[in-house]
Amino acid sequence: MIDLRYAFILAFGSIRSAKLRSTLTALGIIIGVAAVVANVSIGASFNQYFTDELGSLGSNFIIIYSQDVNIFYDTELELIRNTPGIEGASAFNQQTAPVTYLSATRQIDVQGVSEDAQYISNLGVAEGSFLTDKDKYVAVLGKEIATEKFDKNISVKNYIDITIKRDDGTSVTRKFRVKGILASEDNTFVTGGPDRDVTIYVPIATLNEMLNVTDYGGFSAKTGSAESVQEVSDEVDKRLARALGVPTRDLDNDDAKPYRIFNQAEIIEQLDTVTNAFTILITMIALVALIVGSIGIMNIMLVTVTERTSEIGLLKSMGYTKPDIIVLFIMESIIVGVIGGILGTVLGLVGSYIVETYLGVTPVFPFYLIFLGFFISVFVGLIAGVYPANKAANLNPVEALRHE
Amino acid sequence: MAGCNVQSPELNNVIDIQGLKKSYFLGNLEVPILHGIDLCIKKGEFVAIMGPSGSGKSTLMNMIGCLDRPTGGKVMLMGRDTNAITDNELAELRGFEIGFVFQNFSLIPRLSAYENVLLPTYSNTKDGMDTSGRARDLLKLVGLDDRTGHKPAELSGGQRQRVAIARSLINDPSLILADEPTGNLDSKTSVEIMDIFSDLHKKGRTIVMITHDPEMEQYVDRVVHIRDGNIGNN
Repeated sequence: MIDLRYAFILAFGSIRSAKLRSTLTALGIIIGVAAVVANVSIGASFNQYFTDELGSLGSNFIIIYSQDVNIFYDTELELIRNTPGIEGASAFNQQTAPVTYLSATRQIDVQGVSEDAQYISNLGVAEGSFLTDKDKYVAVLGKEIATEKFDKNISVKNYIDITIKRDDGTSVTRKFRVKGILASEDNTFVTGGPDRDVTIYVPIATLNEMLNVTDYGGFSAKTGSAESVQEVSDEVDKRLARALGVPTRDLDNDDAKPYRIFNQAEIIEQLDTVTNAFTILITMIALVALIVGSIGIMNIMLVTVTERTSEIGLLKSMGYTKPDIIVLFIMESIIVGVIGGILGTVLGLVGSYIVETYLGVTPVFPFYLIFLGFFISVFVGLIAGVYPANKAANLNPVEALRHE
Repeated sequence: MAGCNVQSPELNNVIDIQGLKKSYFLGNLEVPILHGIDLCIKKGEFVAIMGPSGSGKSTLMNMIGCLDRPTGGKVMLMGRDTNAITDNELAELRGFEIGFVFQNFSLIPRLSAYENVLLPTYSNTKDGMDTSGRARDLLKLVGLDDRTGHKPAELSGGQRQRVAIARSLINDPSLILADEPTGNLDSKTSVEIMDIFSDLHKKGRTIVMITHDPEMEQYVDRVVHIRDGNIGNN
C-alpha cells in the first residue's frame, strides 16, 4: 500500500506542474467556500446585532399591552410588582400629541411612565435627570426631540407645551419643564417598545390626569436575570389572567385574555428564527456554487486521467495496486479542494468583514467556520475525485502502457 | 505440456510458462495470438525473444510481465502460479519480482532522475531496504551520479534509458524485462545500453529482452524465436 506521505508528494507535484489549470480549478471551490463562510458569518453577525439591540432596551424585559380600555389599574401594577422575580414594574400610557416649543408645534409620541421605567428600559440620561413619581409637570426628552425636531435646540429647564386630547373630544394643554434629555441609543428598530430617541416621557399620573382616565395602556417590567425571564413572564401571565377572571382552562389561550404579554426571550427567539431561515436560504445558494466548483474538479481530474493514461500504465507495471492509484488521484483532488478551501475561507472571512463593517454590524466569526470551510473542501475534493480515481485504477495496464 | 523440465529447486526457475494460450476478442470473435507456448527461463539467464511484428512477442512479454492474464495454460513467476492470485497480489508480485525497461523510457517528466528511480518503492518496498541510498548507488552504477537532480527533459535518450534501468533494479527484482530497450536509440548509444545489460547479466541478473534486432543476439545466452504465436527453435 502506498505511503500517504509519498502519495501527497506525487499528487502535489502533479498539481504544481499545471499551475494555471490547478488555479482555475481551485477558483470554483474558492468562490463556493467563500460564499458559504461569508453567509454564515454575516448571518451570525446580524443575529448578534439584533440580540445586542434588544439587550439595550433592557435585557430582562417584559412588556404587557392591554387589548381594551379599563383593563389595567394600579391593582394589576401591584400584582406584577409583587410577583417573585420581578425587580421593577412601570405602568404606561401613550398618545401622539402636538408639542409646542417657541411657537413651533410638532406631533410627538408622549409616553406616561413611572420612575421605574428608567431602570426597566435602561434609559440613559445625558443631561439633567430622569423624572420621579413625585414630579408633576416635567418631561424627559429623547435626544432627537431635543436636537433635531424643532428649529431651536431644547435644553434642560426650557418649557414645552403638550396638548392632550381626551375621549370626550375636549383637549387640555399644560406647560412642562424639561427635566432631562436622554442619551441617544442606536436601537431604532424591533424593540417592542417606543423609540426612545423620538419620545417625550412624562409622569404617568400627570398624563392620566390630563387624559381624565385611571386605567393604563400597559406595563413594562424587568426580571432579576435573563435566565428567569420566561419563567417569571409565565407567572405574571398566570396571575394577571386569574385576577382578570380568565377561566383556568383558557390560560394557554392568548385570544381569551384581554392583554398581550411579550418577553425578551420570545422576541430574540422569533428574530433567531427569521435570521436563521435567511442564513439557511443564502447558504443554500452558496452551496450551489460549491457543487459547480466540485464538478469543475471532477472534470479536470477526468482530463488528467486521460492525459496520464500511459503514466498510470507505468505505475501499474511497477506494482502499484488499484487502491494505490485511487489514493493517488483522490489525494490530488483533495489537495486542490483544500487549497481552494483555505483560500476560500480567508476570502469569505475578509469579504464578510468588509460587508459587516459597511453595514455597521459588529463582525462575528464563529470559530467553527474555519473547520467548516476546511471540511467542506476536503469533502468536495473527495467526492469529486472518486469517479476519476476509479476510472484510472481500472485501466488495463497493457492498453494504458500502449497509450501515447 | 512442458515448461521447465526440472521442477526443483523451484526458485531456480524464474519464469515457467506451460501451455500458454492468449486470445483477444473482437465482439464474439476470438482472435488467438499465442497458441500454447512452453518456456522456461532459469535464474541468471539472458534471453532474447525475437520475432517480426505481429508475431505475438509483445503479448508474450505482457504475459511474462504479469501485466495480463492467460486465456489458457499458466504462468509461474518465482514458483507462484499467477492464475491463483488476485489482481492486487499480482501487482505487488510485479513490484517485487519484475523490473520493466521500456522502449520509450517511460519516465515521469515532473520527477528528477533520483525520484524516478525511487518511484516503485513508494508502493512496494522490501523490509529494511535503504531505498534512497540504493537509488543513489544504482544511478552511480549506470553512470549518472552527477545527474540525479535532473528532470528527464534535461537528459539525453541514452541517459533516460539508464535512469529507467536503475529504476528497474530498485526493488532488487528476480527478473528484468526489457521491451525493445534500444528501439529509440542510435547505434552508439544502443551499444552503451547493451553493455550495461551485459554487465548486469555477468553479475547474475536474469534478463529477458524483447527485440526484433538480430544485432542483439551477440549479447544473450539464448534466443527464443516466436512466429505466428508459436515458439520456433530454442
